[in-house]
Amino acid sequence: MVGLSEGEKHFIRGGIAQDIRTDGRRRLQFRALSVETGVIPQANGSARVRLGATEIIASVKAELGKPSILHPDKGKVSIFVDCSPTAEPTFEGRGSEELSAELSVALQRCLLGGKSGAGAAIDLSSLIVVEGKVCWDLYIDGLVVSSDGNLLDALATAIKVALSDTGLPKVNVSLSAASDEEPEVDVSDEEFLQFDTSSVPVIITLTKVGRHYIVDATSEEESQMSSAVSVSVNRNGQICGLTKRGGAGLDPSVIFDMISVARHASQQFIALVDSQIAAAEADE
Amino acid sequence: MSAQAGTGTYSPAAASGDKRRERREELRRHLAEDADWPRADGRSFHDCRPAFMQTGPTTAASGSAYAEFGKTKVIVSVFGPRESKKAMMYSDVGRLNCNVSYTTFATPVRGQGADNKEYSSMLHKALEGAVMLHTFPKTTVDVFALVLESGGSDLPIIISCASLALADAGIMMYDLVTSVSVSCFGKNIIIDPTSDEEAWQDGSLMVAFMPARKEITQLTLTGEWSDGKITNAVELCMDACSKLGEILRDRLKDTATLTNE
Repeated sequence: MVGLSEGEKHFIRGGIAQDIRTDGRRRLQFRALSVETGVIPQANGSARVRLGATEIIASVKAELGKPSILHPDKGKVSIFVDCSPTAEPTFEGRGSEELSAELSVALQRCLLGGKSGAGAAIDLSSLIVVEGKVCWDLYIDGLVVSSDGNLLDALATAIKVALSDTGLPKVNVSLSAASDEEPEVDVSDEEFLQFDTSSVPVIITLTKVGRHYIVDATSEEESQMSSAVSVSVNRNGQICGLTKRGGAGLDPSVIFDMISVARHASQQFIALVDSQIAAAEADE
Repeated sequence: MSAQAGTGTYSPAAASGDKRRERREELRRHLAEDADWPRADGRSFHDCRPAFMQTGPTTAASGSAYAEFGKTKVIVSVFGPRESKKAMMYSDVGRLNCNVSYTTFATPVRGQGADNKEYSSMLHKALEGAVMLHTFPKTTVDVFALVLESGGSDLPIIISCASLALADAGIMMYDLVTSVSVSCFGKNIIIDPTSDEEAWQDGSLMVAFMPARKEITQLTLTGEWSDGKITNAVELCMDACSKLGEILRDRLKDTATLTNE
């Protein structure tokens, strides 16, 4: 919980109105981003992302499973978010349940696309090994290690980086068995297939404080928000998810304006994330 | 309840402004170009299902409402304002507690409505901006929604029905909240989708709207959308929301005259 005095609140709001925030940033400027890949050897792909004082660890685990009967040509992806009590004491026990659920739903909405799979970040048909029989189940977990606002954007970035770090083991299937039997699979532990992550979007949250909106709000700034709109944008500038938080109603024209601002900011952010990923991979 | 307290249509039509009409006509033409399939229930793309709404189905509640849009049937009860639970911390604004549940027989597969936690928080977010929470400090208003039958566009209907129930309970609100969703199939946008349509949609967009204040309280979107398409879809939803708002208002007036008689 953020405890702020009247003076501090006024200072934050005044700063945002004058385009100089408390940490010296402009309204549409992000905090320093640092990215590390391969932090969890147990997982198929992992990343640690720091955005200012917000820190996220994301891991991608792949398991062989059976595709659902309704979609025999598609693999499965599930996204979970966990908020650790190390980040904030209020997250202890069931305290983080609501926040975790909200973040997971928002991420699913932004990354998994429509029911038919249109606009999905991950091409589900690329996860199929044998149609109707064997597919990859991707489990994407985000862990909030330290929380200082803008969790959703940081989570989405961490997942994007973790996916680019993910290698799916090559699977050799022996097709000698009769068609109705379970095919035998042999998972290679040497050959890995890289993942196409070019369509994984980033999420830009615009937090409205007073009449202005800011990107990458700290938790102090978030406590002063009237509402926030999270827009997920992919490389082509297409919007692939949108969620609104905060109670206050927004004028439609403000929302449209926010979407176009988010779209503009996203292209810079994607370039930044890409260069960080490249740098992180070069480090390994 | 009088028999005419019945159905009303709220399909967005070209009745609002010439500019918008032009834009909508343009959209219609676009749709007509590659629209070669009718919807399963015979509606055109921009037709909503007839809306049947009624206040006061449950007597124990402070306020309640029943909504039936095609196959989707929802009942919402509002209790309170009543004392917050003892464990709750002091709060000088009221609390809004929303819960959405599905009956076990609401879905084709029994007991499948597991995602009601998500809907509960969405309902809360859509309503909290409209309810004057400061008018009932230290207390809680409970909004319980029960989906009797799920037939598509469940959440928007829950939201609209809940705001009618809140109004019926006499909870102070800035405005009624109405909500409409659209599905997108390729280039086409269809309004008020059924569950079959929702199962195959490329993307969806839901707007919760306060018609008199012209403010959006909640907006969610999935799938891949271009800027122009979002604008079109949101305007379509807002138009339908305004009309649905009229229907809600009429229902409230009906009850008012009934109690006066």
